[in-house]
Formats: sequence, structure tokens, C-alpha cells
Amino acid sequence: MSTAAPELDDKRRAVPVLGQASIEAKACAQEAQITEASRSTVVPRSGPKDELSRKALLYSKFYGGKVGTAPKVPVRSLQDFGIWYTPGVAAVSLAVQANPELSFEYTGRWNTVAVVSDGSRVLGLGNIGPEGSLPVMEGKALIYNYLGGVNAFALPVRIKDEEHLISVAKALEPSLGGINLEDIESPKCFEVLDRLRAEMSIPVWHDDQQGTAGVSLAGLFNALELTGRRLRDSRIVLFGSGAANIATARLLIEAGADPKKMLVVDRKGILHPEREDIDQLSLKNKWKYELALKTNGDRVQGFLTDALKGADALIAAAGVGPNLIKKEEIAQMNKHSIVFLMANPVPEMMPADAIAGGAEVVATGRSDFPNQVNNSLLFPAIFRGALDVRARTITDTMVIAAAKELASHAKDKGLTSEHILPTMVEWEVYPQVAATVGDMAVREGHARKKLSRDEILHTSMDMIEHARKTMDVLRKSGVILEPPE
Amino acid sequence: MSHQSKHKTAHVQPLTMVHVKVRHATAGDVAEIADLVVRLKRLNNEFDPLFSVVDDAKERAVKYISGTVGSPRALLLVATKGEKIIGFLRAEMRERLFYDPHMEGHITEMYVLPEFRRRLMGQDILEQGFSELVKMGAEIIVGDLPSRNEIGVHFYTKRGFRRLIETFAHMPQ
Repeated sequence: MSTAAPELDDKRRAVPVLGQASIEAKACAQEAQITEASRSTVVPRSGPKDELSRKALLYSKFYGGKVGTAPKVPVRSLQDFGIWYTPGVAAVSLAVQANPELSFEYTGRWNTVAVVSDGSRVLGLGNIGPEGSLPVMEGKALIYNYLGGVNAFALPVRIKDEEHLISVAKALEPSLGGINLEDIESPKCFEVLDRLRAEMSIPVWHDDQQGTAGVSLAGLFNALELTGRRLRDSRIVLFGSGAANIATARLLIEAGADPKKMLVVDRKGILHPEREDIDQLSLKNKWKYELALKTNGDRVQGFLTDALKGADALIAAAGVGPNLIKKEEIAQMNKHSIVFLMANPVPEMMPADAIAGGAEVVATGRSDFPNQVNNSLLFPAIFRGALDVRARTITDTMVIAAAKELASHAKDKGLTSEHILPTMVEWEVYPQVAATVGDMAVREGHARKKLSRDEILHTSMDMIEHARKTMDVLRKSGVILEPPE
Repeated sequence: MSHQSKHKTAHVQPLTMVHVKVRHATAGDVAEIADLVVRLKRLNNEFDPLFSVVDDAKERAVKYISGTVGSPRALLLVATKGEKIIGFLRAEMRERLFYDPHMEGHITEMYVLPEFRRRLMGQDILEQGFSELVKMGAEIIVGDLPSRNEIGVHFYTKRGFRRLIETFAHMPQ
């Protein structure tokens, strides 16, 4: 490496380094302004959006990217390259060749996750292509690293065809411990996820689906408890039928909700088996089609207004508000209703209007309202746990267990209508969720490494603490420079 | 798609298991069948824009089906669950002027509501239609499908039918 351009090198030094460490929790609980809400734009906690945009452009140019690679091993002298590289490395390669599973022990594969996107549905920006998606995927990789200690990197690909995308993702398997699919348009994302989950031996996760569904489920568990309801008895309306809500509906059913008591509403109305476009759905969106056949046991027809009559809970992921739902419609729900408004930056209706309509618990994707349904509460921890046991997959059962753990953490601190979910600064929740996920992987037989829950908890805690300490050390030492004004 | 009647081997699925009956349509069924006809035509449109459905398809379907009920040269069967019609088959007898086999039972439309698919309902209707057409004198049974309807192609080929004739289309300039 040249030392002739120190300024440039300083700016671009890499962040992620792994290892064992321990630090004070409070030092880690930085007021990160990361608000990864469901399939949505990043929302400022404070300050005008223009200022955040200005800083994002300035900082991105200054740092030349958000994550990079860094050594995990000491280089005491150039002689060490005889161990890390040739000729010593040949012994490691031959061992791995003889038993490819050893790639999870002898290389960084076990903790490496690619954030793969085709850039076809980015954050609310739409189809901006792979290059356009790169800053977003880098941001995701940074969250993985900082909150989960995961060595994640951005990997947008110039692929439009579904089969090709599946083929490329599968080809990456030997290098990775897992894949995070991101911002892929619906319904392509369903087929890609389902196929890769079935055909790969590493966890494949689509956060827009599973992350949002998992956190929504966690919030719903507590909201139901708070309002004296049981999941299987509750009448749940899902407004919007994009990736998030279709995945949420599927996960709710897996978790015990009665599909016959669920109603899914899209722009054409309530899904039911005889809707006019049902044949079209059977050909173009089999996931929505399956919900149309499975849900709405009473064959309710009409639109949101009709669906909400007598409903206990509403989960809206329908589009930017604030006038997509009226408080008069909320008033038609059962008393003490539950309303989740997931659109960002502006929810489908303002929370105050939902409360005025009679809602008891209101959650949104925003950090400036109570009860933020935030994917970042889940995905770093889920992958942390899955990677620590070298899991082959992340099942719905593991996601449901993670949601229960998340809900339990909030419950331990006291449930109120304004506190049904933890917040991101409660960093201690991440290792707990990771341990639950890893433990479930072991119980279900999906783990390559059979660890006890306590062992997973300690490993996860070490990994997450180490990531935070690394950031702290790199900043304090000036390796990571403070940003320009 | 064609199938010679002497090769018929499939058996009829016991309908009582799914509480579905297949029977001849009556004049009182026309409106319900017409709805299914429109659904079928819209489904065809999913496979090819040359099957764009006209605005007054429902009215046309009512006339079309009304003309079939009771016709000695046509067959109209419905599958019912309780009082509800969940599928239908329409066929007509045609003479093959230059060919043997000479008499053709031509299935022009067949449709089952999506929620009842994959439960052998289509097979039930087809098999009953098959035997009814044979009784009417059919020596060969054929069925029409949009070329790009792979699911439909699979349905027929799985039951012993094979491609018989291709229809080519070209829009005049």
C-alpha cells in the first residue's frame, strides 16, 4: 500500500474489524439517527430533510463510501504473509477443499453477508438501478455492522431477469454466510426469496418482507396483550398488498392468526376468492392470489371502509398519507382498536387522527411518534444469531421467535399504549434476539454449529460490542475522521 | 387439443368427496354461467392482447349461453357446490367434412373458479362432458385454448389430449 497520499488514505480507511472485546453499554448507545422503517425512506429524527440531504452528499463524497474491509489478523512483519497467503495458506485451502464446511471456520465466510439488490424498488425512490441503489445498500451494510457486528457489504447487480438474479445469488454462496435481499420490486421479490430460501444452504433474508413482518408481529403481540385480545381471535385488516403486507399476512398466519378473520385490502378493494381480477392474480402474483383464497372467510366485499367494520387491528402499508384513511373509518373498528401506519415519511393517516377515531394503540414507521415499527430492531440481530450458529436458513419460526423476544423486551420495561416496542438505543435487545434466533436454529436442526442459548448470547454480545468498540476506537484514534461541516 | 373417444381411460373423481355435482345447465343458470364466461374471456386476455374483452361482454355472454341451453347439438354442463355454480363446460357437435373421425365434440369453453382448482373439479367436468359428447355421437373430442395458456395446455395434455391444429393470427396494417 502506498503512503504517498495520506489525506486520501485517511479519508478512506476501512471500518469493520472483528474479534473479541467488551465495552461499556452506555458508550455504545449513541443516538444513531438510523430509522430503517418499512420499505420506506429514511426519516430524519430532527432537522429539515434538505439539511440531511446536504450532509449526505457532502459526507458521502468526503468518505468515499460507508464501509470497507480491514484486516482481522496481525501483520507483525512481511514474513506473516507466508502464513496468511502463500505458501502457508495452501494447507488451509486443501483442508477446505476436502471439507467445504470448514470454509465457515477457516475463513470469514461465517460472518459475511452480501446486501444484494437490483435497484428496482429503492426506498421510495423507485427503480433507480443498481448504481443508484449502491448508497442505500452501503447504508444497510453499515447498520448490519454497527448494530449486529455483521461483516456486510453492498452488492447491487445489473440484472433484470428473475431467473438470472436467482442464478447469480446462488453462485455467490461459497463466499457468504448469508444474503440480504434488498429493495427488489414486487412480486419478483417473492419468487426470488422463496426460491433462494429453498435452494440455498445459507440464510437468505428479504428485509422489506421479513423484517417489516417480524417487527410488525412483535408490536402486534404487545398491542393485542395491552388491549386484552388473542391473535387467533382477532379480526385483522391489512391495508396495502405490497411486499411488506403480503409477508406480514403470511407471518401472522404462521404465528397463529386465523386467516379467515384476516382481510387484505388493495387498490381494487378487499381480496376474496371471487374478485373480478382473481384469474389475473393467479397468473401474475401468486402470493397475493393465495391470500385471496385463504383470507376473508366471510367473503366481505368492498373497500377499506367495509373491511374495517368490526376489525380489531389495522396494519396499513399502503402508501404515503396522510389522507388515505379517515378517522371515521377507524371509528368503525372495535373499541380499543390497534392501528399500525407504516408508510414513510408521512403515514397513511396522522396518529392523532387515528386516536381521535378511537384507536388505543397506534404505531408508525417514524421515530418522532411513539411505537416506531423499525426493521433495524430485527435484521441485525436475526442475522447475528443465524451467523453465530452457521445456520443454513432463517425460517418463519425463527422470525416469530425473534418477534416474541422483541415483544418480551418491551413488555419487561412496561407496556403502555405508547410503548409496545423497544427503541434502537436499547442495544441490549440485539444479543437477546440473536440468542433466541440462534437457539431456534439449533432446535430446528438448521445450525451447523450446535451452541447453547447462553453460548450464542455471549458470542452475539461479544460480536456486537466489538463492532461498537471498533467504531469508538477508530473515531477516537482519528482513523475515521469527523465529518466536515 | 384433441382426444379420440376410444382412448378414454380416466375415471370420474367421486364428487361426493367435495360436495360438487356436475349436471346439465338450465335456463335459470344462464346469468351465473354468463359471469363465468366473462371471467374466462378475461383470463384469455391475460395470455394475449388479441383477446381483449369487449365492454358489453356480459350481455353477449347471456345471449351466447341462452342460445346453447337446450340445443340438441350443444352441451352445457355446470359444476355446482350447493346452489352455487363453480364451473362450466360448453361444447358443440361439429361435422368434419373431409376427415375421419367424422363427428367432433368441440369444447368451446371450460372454466372453474380459481378457489376450486387443483381439486380435480376440471377433470370431473371434462370427464362428464366427454361421456355426454360420446353419447351425442362424438368420435373425437377437441378443446380450444389460447396458445400461451400453458396451464390449460398442461391440463389437456395430462389427460391424453394432443395438439391438433394451430391458429395463426396477424393484424392487418
